Amino acid sequence: MLRTLQVERRVDPHLSIDRYDPEAELLLLHFGPQHPATHGVFRMDLYLDGEIVVKCVPYVGYLHRAVEKLCEVLTYSQVTPIVDKNDYVSPMTNEQAINLAFEKLLGLEVPRRARWIRTVFAEMQRIASHLLWLGTFAMDLGGALGGGATVFMHAFRERESIMDLFEEVSGSRFHYNTHTIGGNRHDIPAGWSGRVKQALDVIEARIGEYEAMTLENRIFHERTRGVGVLDGTLALELGITGPNLRASGVDHDLRRDAPFHAYDEITVNVITAEGGDCLARTQVRMGELRESIRIVRAMIDSIPEGPINGGKPIKLVNSIKIPAGQTYVAMETPRGELGTYLIADGSPKAQRLKIRPPSLHALSAMPYILPGGTVSDALAILGSLDPIMGEVDR
Amino acid sequence: MSSKPNLDTTAPFEHPLYKTLEKLPGLSLGTASIDDLLAWGLTNSLWVFPMATSCCGIELMASAASRVDLDRMGTIVRATPRQADVMVVAGTITVKMAPRVLKLWEQMPEPKWCIAMGSCAISGDFYRNLYSVIPGIDTVIPVDVYVPGCPPNPEALMHGLLRLQEKVHAARRGVKVVRDPNPELMAITKPSIPRLCDAERTEELTRAQADDAMRVTEEQTSEPLEVAYAPSTPLPPVFAPDFAGLLRELGVDASSTEGPPIVPLARHYELARRLKDLGYRQYVSVVASHWPAGLGRKGKDDTEPEHYEIAYILRTVGRGSRVATWVVRAAIGEPVPTLFPLFAGADWQEREQYDLVGVRFAGHPDLRRLMMAENYVGHPLRRDFPSDAPAAPWR
Repeated sequence: MLRTLQVERRVDPHLSIDRYDPEAELLLLHFGPQHPATHGVFRMDLYLDGEIVVKCVPYVGYLHRAVEKLCEVLTYSQVTPIVDKNDYVSPMTNEQAINLAFEKLLGLEVPRRARWIRTVFAEMQRIASHLLWLGTFAMDLGGALGGGATVFMHAFRERESIMDLFEEVSGSRFHYNTHTIGGNRHDIPAGWSGRVKQALDVIEARIGEYEAMTLENRIFHERTRGVGVLDGTLALELGITGPNLRASGVDHDLRRDAPFHAYDEITVNVITAEGGDCLARTQVRMGELRESIRIVRAMIDSIPEGPINGGKPIKLVNSIKIPAGQTYVAMETPRGELGTYLIADGSPKAQRLKIRPPSLHALSAMPYILPGGTVSDALAILGSLDPIMGEVDR
Repeated sequence: MSSKPNLDTTAPFEHPLYKTLEKLPGLSLGTASIDDLLAWGLTNSLWVFPMATSCCGIELMASAASRVDLDRMGTIVRATPRQADVMVVAGTITVKMAPRVLKLWEQMPEPKWCIAMGSCAISGDFYRNLYSVIPGIDTVIPVDVYVPGCPPNPEALMHGLLRLQEKVHAARRGVKVVRDPNPELMAITKPSIPRLCDAERTEELTRAQADDAMRVTEEQTSEPLEVAYAPSTPLPPVFAPDFAGLLRELGVDASSTEGPPIVPLARHYELARRLKDLGYRQYVSVVASHWPAGLGRKGKDDTEPEHYEIAYILRTVGRGSRVATWVVRAAIGEPVPTLFPLFAGADWQEREQYDLVGVRFAGHPDLRRLMMAENYVGHPLRRDFPSDAPAAPWR
């Protein structure tokens, strides 16, 4: 579906959509679903006039794994490892979001220690996720940035240090399965906080390098400034959340505005940027990298003592029965508001479980913000929205 | 000349000429057959085509990145199938994606190999019995090496590549490496359609898959629909968003404890519009659910007829963000007014609920399927839809 948005998109008037000749024959380019720059299996049909994209028709569903149907087939305690695979760049927050919904309908109080550990995990996951985004986004922008793969190699080096720390906790590099209904499954090991601080020191020292390679790079600016401008009002109407929304100048972050876990006990500085273009989205995520490091540093030494699980020990998987009811619970993940709408009917299985993915909403902006740009802009915009197809399609 | 050596089977250094030359003083000599040279070159330059769909793709990226660095094994990741020797299928392959995988496999030049990376590519993992996932990529293309794990570590993928190198080298020397026949294991992991290596695999199935792969892109391309979108005027500042008061005003009973208040279909659009004016500016989600006859809010003893419930969620922006949730009920086939004129985000969300649950949204400009293919029959998230429904010829 095409909409023409009545705003000036490009700084360069020669690439404005006004120059599109409606009589001219358009070239249809099937872009994806297998393409190294589509961040998974995403397809869009681009209708091109020369190099200018006139229409963009996105297609999703190439990774539709029927997770919501599976959640109706499995018992509640079996669902956690399944949803790990939805947003596979940030599995920790998936587990947390789903368990928050179960805990709310069960009326379970999560111990304070578990809430603090969840917060630390969520923030460290944000660092890892934004690092992966930075590496892949820079690779999307291509050869201009030192052969394209330079930032990618740097970012993955630092991401590995966080993966190692999570592996130490849960035994897995990702797909951790470390949260259960009512708390956490694994406590943090002895000496872990010291190693976290060491890793954060290294990462923080290198953020400056990333900024030199991206935000202080003339070519990077040329590729991103004024590209894919997303208006704040449109972003709200589309349901876009997270860094993409904050880059459009909307001051909204669930960590501060509707606190979950232990975010009500700490200060979260919400990073926003004006402009709504790819550059603003980069600035927001770079700011959030530093902010997450600050939050983890502030919390890691003062994690309260106590139990990590408030639920009763589970003997049988069928023993958890959630009373009949409906609830919507949301939390802020690296990509935005990840919500869970749960309809329980009193049995050990959900009657309907809907996962509200932030990436799907972000992708739905493509037909609005891409037309008027070039094919290379398509990659920059797609990369800057940071969609994860596992979460889009579920 | 009965002592003539068989050149095909003897190692080069056993050749009489080599032995003679070796005895010459002061001469150091190395020989190689062309075959050896080719085998060496082929083995150590396996270029990988990443058929990365999901989580395993991230580990594939990590394998190519700084710590593990597959490049030192001569393995370069090529983004096009035409330049690659090995297809690494990393991730879940769905019914919608499988024809594309086959098409890309056909585009790779011979000789070619395939690595199935991760449980999903090997067998479909825990998605294997679900309506949209194929039970292992070996039902579509021949697999040479299986790398188990969910996802496999980069080290495991490297091990898989080394095993493939052994296999490639052996094949070049005329030795065919086959995997251990383990009928017991093969029976346990039997997928819903026969694998390429199974005896019961038929030519018809292979042909049906190839036909589907050839026409899939043309069939699943829809004409773009032109709808002018004008950005709404800047919204007023946030008033005290009194959701409960608005519900009272509209005469909605909000006393139910089993779920959000149920709003009559006739007042639904008006409620959404007034909520938007009140400051619920962010579109969050729409959740449709199917309730068969006899299943109601109070559990299984209810006597309600079959119906849909559609829950809507909106949110205020900024500090102290609040959520407004309400539900409308619709009989089967009864259209529900779309919220698209108010919230552009309703477009994809309502398409998804129409696709998966089957609710019709009246006034939606482009009510196509979102997740499943255009020609798919049925609405998978209805309670009466079997979770393991087949989808010929892929599962």
